[in-house]
Amino acid sequence: MNDVAVIAPVRKTVRVKAPIAHAFEVFTSGLTRWWPFDHGVGKKPIQKVLMEPRLGGRWLEISEDGTQTSVATITHWEPPHRLVMIWQVNAQWKPDPAMKSEVDVRFAADGPDATRVELLHHKFETMGAEAGASMRKDVDGGWPGLIERFVQEAERSKS
Amino acid sequence: MAYATALAVLADPTRRKVFERLRAGPRPVNALAAGLPVSRPAVSQHLKALKDAGLVEERSEGVRRIYSLKREGLMELRAWLDSFWGDALEAFKLEAEKSHNARGSK
Repeated sequence: MNDVAVIAPVRKTVRVKAPIAHAFEVFTSGLTRWWPFDHGVGKKPIQKVLMEPRLGGRWLEISEDGTQTSVATITHWEPPHRLVMIWQVNAQWKPDPAMKSEVDVRFAADGPDATRVELLHHKFETMGAEAGASMRKDVDGGWPGLIERFVQEAERSKS
Repeated sequence: MAYATALAVLADPTRRKVFERLRAGPRPVNALAAGLPVSRPAVSQHLKALKDAGLVEERSEGVRRIYSLKREGLMELRAWLDSFWGDALEAFKLEAEKSHNARGSK
């Protein structure tokens, strides 16, 4: 059977009290300033997380020993309104260039000094039914899909 | 922080198994130990560790002790783990607003 059941997208929105151009710039070029480093998939400890702000640019993690890990690749670049990335992370939270769930981030001005940012993570079904469901649960938050991440985190923080 | 203790406690695979068994509902020690490749006293030790981490609670029922998951402990752990993108967007919002305000006050 080749039927692929669509897995429901994860949608998150946030309202930022800053103009749209600034919000877009911080989200992309400024990734390194706000991305929670414990959300990494590459080699630990992470020294820096950055985004190459252009079409085809990568979301990169740079570990303390200099290892670079690509987390995502930008496939649509429309500053300051929208960017789309292919999320190259598998259900085990390891970098995997074959993965292609998609993160679509849209910015809409909410007056001159505020921006609504809507993040849509979807196409989980491209990962396969089981892996896709697991990733969906993880990025949306949930229980018990994240138990393996507890474990990884616990083992890492213990050492 | 409490979630860090919970994470460390759950890193042990046997303990995790005991913990997962409790997700099905409250159980006495012998029911939890059944089928696990460790002794009953060892299971009691794991339960103690889970209890100290705030993940499990116990009550007496006659001579038996019944263990169950502790909702508050789980809530804390869950709050920490929930919403990968939600957390990320909150962090983004803080930075965007902070840097915008800094620019405005120059």
